[in-house]
Amino acid sequence: MRRSVSAMPKPGGRTALGAALLAGQAAVAVAGIRQGVAPVHVAAVCWLTAAYTVSGLIAWRHRPGNRFGPLMVLTGAGSLASSVSWLHQIGLVADLVPLILIVHVFLSYPSGRLTSRLARVLLGIGYVAAVGVHVVSVALDFPAVLYQGELLLVGAVALAGAALMVARRRTRPLRRSLTVLIDAFTLGLVMIAVLLVVGVLGGPAFPAVQRLAIVLLGVAPVVFLAGLLQARLARGSIGDLVLELREDPADLGTPLARALRDPSLRLLYWLPDFDAWAGEDGRPATLPDDPDRVTVIEEHRTPVAALVHDPALRDEADLLAAVTAAAAIAVRTGRLQAQLRANVEELRGSRARVAEAGRRERRRLERDLHDGAQQRLVALSLNLGVLQTRLGDDADALALVREARAEIATSLAELRDVAHGLHPAVVSAHGLAVALESLTVRAPVPVRLTVDLGCSPSEAVEVAAYYVVSECLTNVGKHAAASSATVDVRSSEGTLVIEVVDDGRGGADAERGSGLRGLADRVETLGGRLRVWTPPDQGTRVRAELPCE
Amino acid sequence: MRVAIAEDSVLLREGIARLLADAGFDVTTKCGDADQLRAELEVSLPNVVIMDIRLPPTHTDEGLRAAIDLRAAHPGLAVLVLSQYVEVGLAMQLLADSADGVGYLLKDRISDVPSFVSALRRVAAGGSAIDPTIVSTLLSRRRRDDPLAVLTPREREVLELMASGTSNQGIADRLSVTLRAAEKYVSSIFTKLGIPATRSESRRVLAVLLFLRT
Repeated sequence: MRRSVSAMPKPGGRTALGAALLAGQAAVAVAGIRQGVAPVHVAAVCWLTAAYTVSGLIAWRHRPGNRFGPLMVLTGAGSLASSVSWLHQIGLVADLVPLILIVHVFLSYPSGRLTSRLARVLLGIGYVAAVGVHVVSVALDFPAVLYQGELLLVGAVALAGAALMVARRRTRPLRRSLTVLIDAFTLGLVMIAVLLVVGVLGGPAFPAVQRLAIVLLGVAPVVFLAGLLQARLARGSIGDLVLELREDPADLGTPLARALRDPSLRLLYWLPDFDAWAGEDGRPATLPDDPDRVTVIEEHRTPVAALVHDPALRDEADLLAAVTAAAAIAVRTGRLQAQLRANVEELRGSRARVAEAGRRERRRLERDLHDGAQQRLVALSLNLGVLQTRLGDDADALALVREARAEIATSLAELRDVAHGLHPAVVSAHGLAVALESLTVRAPVPVRLTVDLGCSPSEAVEVAAYYVVSECLTNVGKHAAASSATVDVRSSEGTLVIEVVDDGRGGADAERGSGLRGLADRVETLGGRLRVWTPPDQGTRVRAELPCE
Repeated sequence: MRVAIAEDSVLLREGIARLLADAGFDVTTKCGDADQLRAELEVSLPNVVIMDIRLPPTHTDEGLRAAIDLRAAHPGLAVLVLSQYVEVGLAMQLLADSADGVGYLLKDRISDVPSFVSALRRVAAGGSAIDPTIVSTLLSRRRRDDPLAVLTPREREVLELMASGTSNQGIADRLSVTLRAAEKYVSSIFTKLGIPATRSESRRVLAVLLFLRT
């Protein structure tokens, strides 16, 4: 086979061959009309010859190693040969050649080879009938049984071929352009069968059916050409893909999806450290079970990445291979990034879990203090108070009890501060608005507070918001030299926005840094972010955004 | 005078009950949560309810919700709410539109038995008792063009006592002045701050707190 490919004509030779075929057909057509052949019929046959010859030449040029192009040109030649019958009896020998060649073309799409045994057997029968048996019947001047038998046999082969096409269309999901082509092939095969059966039956309708069939059979190569053009466009997009990948895009999936014309395309990376597949964002992902939907990109026989795509792309193996080859290097970089993101994602998750566990623990401690030590001290103080009322006039004893009660009061105040520092119970019990009012009332400068909650934040988010305001107002008192401040809490599109603005001196402040860093950590742990604007002499604006469903 | 107590700490509940019994109150109901209290009140209504703000099952704001509900359901029923910490915002929620028969005190205040008993009597009689912490926090609040600057130090003291629910007689006793003098201070404060004067001592609590809050 290699030999035959290398023996193919050079481009110039192919063009010359095509020109010769078309010129020959034109000459035969002119002569045929002069002989009295119906011009409509001549035109239909010319269309068939031209369609196969031209499409075949184009396919041949695009895929020189593929036999499909030459086969189509041969079909064009067969059509020309059969038209010679208009001028001389000898042309009758080639009468059925174009039909069986067309069946061959259809069944051998797209490689030009017959891939199934059934197709080979069918076509073998077809050739024997259309060439071997036909030569005999021409030689014997068309004995009815033999001639009709061969026509029916070729018709049956065409019908069986149509059945193969239908089966192919049903068992494999195909892209739309391919579906149209397969439909054109199926229609063509059915037309051949119809044509031959009508030929056997005879009758006045035959010429019309024949011309219609010929015209329709010429449609298939045009559809094929359109598909070829589209595939060529797709391949052209690989050039764009290479250029795009050189720009080192953050998101590799989008250019790959564009190059493959598959918007559903997803790029997954194999992360050996996690022994798992992950998306570009580093989040875990699973490969679909359907092997037709997955193309794995390997390096040294270990997977690097996988494209999850429309199974129809399997029918464009060349394109898929070209795209994966172009993407290989970028994918390697992409995998490292995905690995990093997965690490970050894992850290983010564990940080959030640690922070949440800490928060719950502090909340539990606050509760224990409230229900335990604080209640006991209050009860103790109460008993001392009762004792005080019963002591009568013993001044020394009264003084001692009063002193003890004062000590307890101090301890209670300190415990209250400790408990509040552990967990601001007022936030979880009474909500952010009540808690913030207490903060702003105690603030070191006049504060205008507006709270407009359109969402219900989680307790963790409310507590974080509370600490943001608390820390900021403390800073205003310590560093800002401000005369007033505003605290604005509102929700917008799933985000709780907290803004604390003062009219102080602003400017960078190292002392303020650590507190703000702690706040930023607290906010970021919850998936939010904290921004600080503090230009000199223009006050300070702290803006925290927290997730809020 | 009949008193109901809702407090989940047994130690504290029994302590308060003993203290009140000693002071001559009739403790008719002692319970550990708000639902039980509601059920008991269906049977017999006391003059005043003492309740912890944090009660089972969630230990968040059951006591506060129950206090607000009870005041709406039983007009004339006095409620004294106790808490480990006091918040300005909660005081305003509790008072809503009337300070009649409402108290809101830190638990620490119980140990000063005579003051606590007198606060309870005042609330039961339709007056108010607002924790001094809240009043002093509001008074010390930073303001632009502080309107309180026009008050004399003595008047500030009177304002503080007034806001926590002290009667004119109480103010006179605390400051060791005559009742007439106390009344003069009060009317002078109202004039200076531009608060509409009111005869009711509990209504003026709300007026003063609202003034201080803004």
